[in-house]
Amino acid sequence: MTNTRDGRRPGSNEGRLRVGTGRASAHHGELLQGVFEGADGRLHRGLITLPCPVFTSTATFWPRLGSGITTRPAGRDKASRAATLTLERLSLPQIGGELTIESTVPMGHGYGSSTADVVAAIRATAAAARVTLRQETVAALAVAAETASDPLAYEGLPVLFAQREGLLLELLGPAFPPLIIVGCNVAPDQPVDTLLTSPARYGSDEIETFRVLSGLARHAVAAGDARLLASVATASACISQRHLPKPHFDKLSDLARGTGACGLQVAHSGTLIGLLFDGAESHARRRAAEAASHLAAHGLLSVITYELGVEGTP
Amino acid sequence: MRARWRHSYLDGYATPRLAKLAPNLVAACFPLMKLLPARFMLDRAEARGELMPGGHIVETTSGTFGLALALLAAVRGYRLSLVSADTLLDASLQRRLVALGARIEIVPDADKTGAQRARLARLEAIRSGHPEAWWPQQYDNPDNPRAYARLAELLVRTLGAVDCLVGPVGSGGSMCGTSAFLREVFPAMRTVAADTHRSVLFGHAAGSRLLRGLGNSLVPQNVDHSAFDEVHWVGGLQAFAATRRLHREHGIFAGPTSGAAVLVASWHARQHPDQLTVVILPDEGHRYQDTVHNDDWLLALPGWPAVEAAGPLELQHLAPLGEATWTCIAWQRRSLDAARRDFGDGLAPDALT
Ligand SMILES: Cc1ncc(COP(=O)(O)O)c(C=O)c1O
Repeated sequence: MTNTRDGRRPGSNEGRLRVGTGRASAHHGELLQGVFEGADGRLHRGLITLPCPVFTSTATFWPRLGSGITTRPAGRDKASRAATLTLERLSLPQIGGELTIESTVPMGHGYGSSTADVVAAIRATAAAARVTLRQETVAALAVAAETASDPLAYEGLPVLFAQREGLLLELLGPAFPPLIIVGCNVAPDQPVDTLLTSPARYGSDEIETFRVLSGLARHAVAAGDARLLASVATASACISQRHLPKPHFDKLSDLARGTGACGLQVAHSGTLIGLLFDGAESHARRRAAEAASHLAAHGLLSVITYELGVEGTP
Repeated sequence: MRARWRHSYLDGYATPRLAKLAPNLVAACFPLMKLLPARFMLDRAEARGELMPGGHIVETTSGTFGLALALLAAVRGYRLSLVSADTLLDASLQRRLVALGARIEIVPDADKTGAQRARLARLEAIRSGHPEAWWPQQYDNPDNPRAYARLAELLVRTLGAVDCLVGPVGSGGSMCGTSAFLREVFPAMRTVAADTHRSVLFGHAAGSRLLRGLGNSLVPQNVDHSAFDEVHWVGGLQAFAATRRLHREHGIFAGPTSGAAVLVASWHARQHPDQLTVVILPDEGHRYQDTVHNDDWLLALPGWPAVEAAGPLELQHLAPLGEATWTCIAWQRRSLDAARRDFGDGLAPDALT
């Protein structure tokens, strides 16, 4: 049973419901995706998401008595389900309401638009009930609402997350190393529905390779080493290329080398590819800008450049 | 937490301690490295239904792989038959294997080459009498190299980037497996083999070998020759001196294949001061108390004490030299055929078949 911040049972709280808002950022695909051994000794499908705070989804929940949730825009079923599950979790099944989603996250390209909506909706609903939820609760509710879900509930923390179970496999460290990401969409006309793409069936060598990749990811995060983390992302992207190949992958690999990027990452079930630059390197911003203009010159669309944990003014 | 903690006593044997031997040289010191592939191969065979509860395991082994199998068979309740040779298995290891419940068959090895063919023939005879028995086939089973993702994981988790990997080669599982997994993230990493004269692994003609535990008189499928940038042939006397030095200077009580590997790795680390070299040490010294770690045994060897070489003699041709020598060739990721073509010579005709 979740208690409210002031210690009262949420069920006794309906008189105090208010309009709640919640927010969640997008991601830019993954640094690593595969299967990983958990503390239970079993294999879990898992991933390390690359946060993308450039895009956000904001949800507002107007509660009212009586069940049923309507969304604006209409038909945001996953977000609506998330709000319903959150109300059930807070023992407020008699409450319904209206959920408004305002999102800048492009849909269907691997930015995690639906997860961002779902997490924002869970937060908005909890805020309406004046309840603070733990990150793991938000993550579990998000997975329950949409079957597979990225760990946006962890607000940019470097986590290895089992996206189909809502399980935190490992907190890799306090923060990502400084990264500059130059991303693009290699197939903007072929949006991917994560749930319709069947999960990759990995071979024995790949399954064992994922041990090494998660081990190096943990070292890279602890050491604040962007280059090593980019090596992990590159290896994971190459494995992904065997399962869900992306157009222009080889061209972008060459471009990564040619522009001094330290690696590249992909949205494993989307159409994004990002070149990764070491934010601790003195010429990283200039190199990233050059790479961005190369991508645009190659006719690639939705080119974005953003920074993660880099100090100083861009 | 208590319920989730799952380690068994045997896990410790397969987990190396990492020791810094020089600012740019780290040793991965295993109590019994072979337990790592043995456990993985068994796990996989169980999962595939090839090995049933209470089943029978048969294998030919020069020692440590047999010990690993015997430990696992004892703990998991399997019957185990091992074939070895009289030059390979010392009395105290044999007693330990028997104490663990293994059945041992010894074939003679008059010319001291390891009697690999005779051992395999004996093994075939056992298998035809026990068709249900499971044969791990460490020389050819891809689960042998695959087991070493766990070593690669430990290395990168602890050290980050690895620039060079050095270790002994017998079945090829440890070096080829670890190297392949590390190169998934560090494709430029250098891989350096420690072999010994008259082992056929890298193109020598088969012959008598003083240093046991590495090298081979057959070429296993698990040796991927194209993984290696450099190959070293360490003579027995050089390996033994290095094993004793490792004990004296670092307190690391290890077997002679570890000594050979450390000799090569220390030299490599001195040649490349800006790179991190990792060296694999497969077992501890207890099994060699009466031999390599015994001064009287060493003094009885022709040529002992040997002058410790400061570095290898770089060869242009594949040619076995004496037990007091240490040689190397810039292999440069060649196949065995390409190396035979490029480095020719030094081959007895029977090694070409
Ligand atoms: C003591 C010792 N060193 C080295 C090796 C060689 O390792 P691998 O078989 O993985 O090539 C072995 C293999 O049996 C060994 O027992």
